[in-house]
Parts: sequence; structure tokens; C-alpha cells
Amino acid sequence: MTSLAVGDEVLDAVFTVTRADLVAYADASGDQNPIHQDDAAAVAAGLPGVIAHGMYTMGLAARAVSEWAGGDVVTDYTVRFAKPVVVPAEGGAEVRVTGAVRKLLDGGLVEINLTVTSGGEKVLAPARATVRLG
Amino acid sequence: MLNTSYVGRTLPATEPHVVTAEEIGGFAAALGTKSDGAVAPATFLVSHTLPASNRLVDDPDFGLDFTRVLHREQRFAHVRPVRPGDAISCLVHVESIKTVAGNDVLTTRTEVTVEGEPVSTVWTTLFVRGDA
Repeated sequence: MTSLAVGDEVLDAVFTVTRADLVAYADASGDQNPIHQDDAAAVAAGLPGVIAHGMYTMGLAARAVSEWAGGDVVTDYTVRFAKPVVVPAEGGAEVRVTGAVRKLLDGGLVEINLTVTSGGEKVLAPARATVRLG
Repeated sequence: MLNTSYVGRTLPATEPHVVTAEEIGGFAAALGTKSDGAVAPATFLVSHTLPASNRLVDDPDFGLDFTRVLHREQRFAHVRPVRPGDAISCLVHVESIKTVAGNDVLTTRTEVTVEGEPVSTVWTTLFVRGDA
């Protein structure tokens, strides 16, 4: 991993998010806000339909980072929820996570700039994770 | 509108909760993350910082209507990963409330500790839609 350079593209992962995934995440995380499970509640909140928990999408992007890094080694992780991930009842939504080296830090730490998109739009922006490698 | 007099306040620390491998494994599984339950995923602590912060929703004097909330930003700064057996406690600070065009932007900072030792700091920023 010492051969990493700033700008290197290090990860590229695609996930399909279904409504069943959101129900499972609601149960595991305790976030039972109905806008993540019920179209009527989402529409009442001014949304086009059920959206993924922002924390679900953030968690998926962390999963992509940990799968690349070989473990849960994230030391700092910050995102802004730029757009919601709308999850249709049929087929779900696709979320793509790519990452590139932004900075090489002391102590074996690497800062990764993540690009997280759904339906061609950035949904987390900016999104940055610092990982400890080796 | 939120009660801005809460800025700078700290909620009472939550009672220590002992994290289990099953709990970590369940959170990881919900994200499809491979996990043996030994180390918590990067965002695991939200399952504890959210209920800790929800005491603000339950406080009528604060004025936080969750049906008007969108999650805007989130940050985790981990001193070390959470592991099974950790008795975690959450100390929630109301860090800032900014009012922009009739909407409120609330940031909380939660210090997560195990037996008084820092484990993580978690920042949550919520956009709270105004009446307009």
C-alpha cells in the first residue's frame, strides 16, 4: 500500500438498494422514520417516494472502503447528504461508490475522496474517509 | 423554530450500554458488510448516538419536529474501533443552531466514551424545515 499516490483510483463498487434492505437497516439501526419505508409518508414530507436512510448510503460507502482496505479501519469519515437516494418498490436503486486517494498522511493514514452516485447524481458530496492501512 | 437557548447545552450522559458481537454483526449484515462481529463498522455508533439525540425530539421546549427534518451532514472521528464488551456512553452537546431563510440547521456533537476514555466523536447536522 506504500505505493499509493495522490489521485490513484482505488475502489469502484456498485450496490443495489431495495426496500427490503431499508427495512432491515431500520431494524438494525433503530431509525424507523417512515419516509424510508412508506411512500405516503415520503410524499407527505415533500419527497418523490421512499428514500434510503442517509446513514444507509453512508454505511454502504463505508462498506466499499472496508472491502478495499481489508477491514473496518476507518478513523475519520465525513459526508454531506447532497441528494436523496429514491428507492422504487420494484427493482430498487443503484448506488455506485468510487474512491481516489486525496492525501497521504503520517502514520500510515490515507484520506480517500469518495464519489457516491445514484441515477447519475451525486448523493453524498463531499464524502471523505481516512483509513489506516497496514 | 428551534429554541436557540439550547446551544451549548449538554444532555445527561446515557447509561453505559455493553456492545455485543451479535449487535455489531446485525448492523454489519444490514449493510451487507462481511463481519465476524469483532470490530464495529465505521457508522455503527449511529445506532446509539441517534437514540441519545432523540431525547431532544422528545423535549417539547426544544421544538424539534422530526417530520420536518432532513439529515444534512454526518461525521465520525474514531479514536479506536468499538468492540464487543465495550460499555459505551453517549454525551450529546448541542453545538450550534443556524437559522437560514426561516429554516434551522442544527449540529450536535456526541462524545462516545468507554469507562470515561474517549472512543469516538460523532457530529450530526440536521436541516429543519421552517413553517414557510
